Amino acid sequence: MTLIATRPGPGAARAYRFPQVVRRTVAGGQVVAAHLPGQTLAVALLLLDGGAGREPVGKEGLGAVLAKALEEGTAQRDATAYALAIEALGTELVAGLDWDSFQVSVQVPVDRLSAAVELLAEAVRTPRLDPTDVLRVRDDEATALRMDWANPGPRADAVLRADLFGAGNRWGRPLYGDPESVAALEVDDVTVFHSEWFIRPGTLIVAGDLERIDLDALGATAFAGTGGGPVDRGGPIEVPLAGRRRVILVDRPGSVQSTLRLGHPSPHRAHPDHVPMTLAGTVLGGAFTSRLNHLIREVRGYTYGIRGDFASSRRFGRFAVTSGVQTAVTAPALVESVGEVSRTQLTGVTEEELEVARSWRAGQLSVELQSPRAIASALTTLVVHDLPDDYHARLREALLAATVEEVSAAAAAHLHPESLTLVVEGDAAVIRDELVAAGLGEVVDHT
Amino acid sequence: MPDSGYPWPIETTRLDNGLRVVVSEDRTAPAVAVNLWYDVGSRHEPAGQTGFAHLFEHLMFEGSVNVAKTEHMKLIQGAGGSLNATTNPDRTNYFETVPAEHLELALWLEADRMGGLVPALTQETLDNQRDVVKNERRQRYENVPYGDAWLRLLPLLYPPGHPYHHATIGSMADLNAADLATFQAFHSTYYAPNNAVLTVVGDADAAEVFALADKYFGGLAARSDIPAAPDGRTVPATGTPAVETVTADVPAPRVYVAHRTHPFGDPGYDVTTVLATVLGSGRGSRLYQRLADGERIAQPDLVGAYGVDLAHAPAPLIATATARPGVTAERLRDGLAEVVDELATVPVTAAELDRAKALLSTMWWRQMSTVDGRADTLGRYATQFGDPARAADRLPGWLAVTAEQIAEQAAALLGADDRVILTYLPEETS
Repeated sequence: MTLIATRPGPGAARAYRFPQVVRRTVAGGQVVAAHLPGQTLAVALLLLDGGAGREPVGKEGLGAVLAKALEEGTAQRDATAYALAIEALGTELVAGLDWDSFQVSVQVPVDRLSAAVELLAEAVRTPRLDPTDVLRVRDDEATALRMDWANPGPRADAVLRADLFGAGNRWGRPLYGDPESVAALEVDDVTVFHSEWFIRPGTLIVAGDLERIDLDALGATAFAGTGGGPVDRGGPIEVPLAGRRRVILVDRPGSVQSTLRLGHPSPHRAHPDHVPMTLAGTVLGGAFTSRLNHLIREVRGYTYGIRGDFASSRRFGRFAVTSGVQTAVTAPALVESVGEVSRTQLTGVTEEELEVARSWRAGQLSVELQSPRAIASALTTLVVHDLPDDYHARLREALLAATVEEVSAAAAAHLHPESLTLVVEGDAAVIRDELVAAGLGEVVDHT
Repeated sequence: MPDSGYPWPIETTRLDNGLRVVVSEDRTAPAVAVNLWYDVGSRHEPAGQTGFAHLFEHLMFEGSVNVAKTEHMKLIQGAGGSLNATTNPDRTNYFETVPAEHLELALWLEADRMGGLVPALTQETLDNQRDVVKNERRQRYENVPYGDAWLRLLPLLYPPGHPYHHATIGSMADLNAADLATFQAFHSTYYAPNNAVLTVVGDADAAEVFALADKYFGGLAARSDIPAAPDGRTVPATGTPAVETVTADVPAPRVYVAHRTHPFGDPGYDVTTVLATVLGSGRGSRLYQRLADGERIAQPDLVGAYGVDLAHAPAPLIATATARPGVTAERLRDGLAEVVDELATVPVTAAELDRAKALLSTMWWRQMSTVDGRADTLGRYATQFGDPARAADRLPGWLAVTAEQIAEQAAALLGADDRVILTYLPEETS
């Protein structure tokens, strides 16, 4: 065995470049595109201001039902004919939403892009929305949520969200609703939501070989027959921190693991501390090498994985730690996780840790932004958050320039271990006494 | 679309110690993918040692002669890279994608754990990663509804002693019994340069990679007596269906229908791939049209069919559906079986075939759209078929499949008398 003992240093750094961004105004809508020379596939994504944040309180899941109803036939053809037409191009219609936007996309070999965008626009702008179909889709979606909620996680997520943001607010309820909210939706809810948000032009995102794509023609197709301008999107929401830490126990009898969801509110996406906060989250829990995963997985063996991060949308954000731990070690895993949050808040990060975090986040821009789908997603970030074309290059510089002092200050300001809500979904009869004895805060049962 | 499924250059060499090196240069992005396929998977595990290949994969991240415990992850992430590893019945792969200037670091790390893992392996590390893997088993298989379906399907498809009889995650009892000496021997036996393929794709040229490979891996000794896994290519048909019904804490009845087909890489498996797409991929598929839309007995999000791409024995084709509220497991099972049966009797139309091929083309190019996707593909073809350039043949192979071939395969292999049926029933209704 002959091994080279000396670790090699890096070679000459290659210049980072985000693909060239092209913006057009066409037929009343915006086209934002990235040039990917030589790519066989192209992605087109229609971005609409119809995210979950637009759903009225009590109508959670409306966007998710509409997403599926779009494929139940259009003014031109029935559901089966539509499925056969779009899949013959090599794509499915992918529709989904987050808090800030509704997105519908196709991914095809570049020579089929214009045909695919025609079908995309047909479904988004002129869906049939036959009442019988809408009700069936609604019932199917409620069933699908019941299936999903039989897994560990969704209930804990919902309990944490309600505790952080208040169940009286839309943003205090699950992104996709819950089985009951979806089951209560009516046909009119769906058709009104469509007419309010799906007839406005929106933004067409395109990622592909632009020498083989006519952006003006795509835009004209995507925006044909649309009307209405942008609607005010509202400012950041002030979310108060909890006055004390507490544990909420969600019973899952017989569970061999406890699902952990720890969290508190944090700043919205445009907050000036976004970069140092992201890095503080990375050191604490955002990477495999971070403090939480090192201690809870690599030292203790309590879990297959644990992560913690700051996540944010236009109007609000949250810090959260998520994991699944063996039932028998639920209390020590919680105590040690809270301990790492507290330690990071009090003493900040070290240069050695930050060096890994900033290089990783910066390098990920080269490594992860390769496919048309990934580039389209990056363009979506530019549009939703009103960022400039050179955002990714600037972000890379900001990540690499962040200092220990800045990141430690962000950890001190934006981590709140005493205000954490600790949601534990597990076998309550087995773990309750230990959770009480752990002294992390009052233990209450979710009912 | 290009005519070939792999329109990039491929250059190969073999070091004196048997390590095969594959390079595919592409300067589009300043990133490079490094990928190692080791020709060892759970098919090599003897009785009593299930789960060892996968647990071993975890140990490969825990330090080697010149790399401290947990340093591997730290160095790759500190270089801006992404990394992971996976184990399946056939093989174990390790991969990282890094900004191109860190290529040499990645090669050094891979060489150090190929050649220098055993002296660094401790009981403490083994105990820790055994706990991690047991938690992985709980999280992925035990604590979720239907999570053990794959664990149940494999022994129904493959008889005792067959290399695919047991699942890669292994049994808790075997994991508990794992001792350090066994793992040291496992590395010495299988982690040899002549049992691996190193693939590099992206912002690097072949001459540079070949020189670096020789520098870092060239001093490692080959092993001459690597034991083969048991031969599983012949699985006698039993002539009777294998039926299992499980009553469990699940929210709705679910049925899996499974068959043994051909090994991945055989022309017959190209037929299986297209057949599975016709049967169960997308809203235009037969299962969706018949069970989710037509009769409306299956939940639309949970109906589908797929082949599992295993190369060393007839690979499984699996079709599944979950009942809509009020639909019994029997009705669902009959409906699912009927649609599978009709593949032999109701000819696949030109429109069905074109739809399936279009979806498969997009799937292929999606895999090819990243340097890491390409590297894993080339490593697979070099390992399993001796030539990375054969990757170019897969997409044309799919596109050449005919409706007649699908009907013939369905008649020959998907008969009701050679079928596996696994049914889950909710506890309340039993």
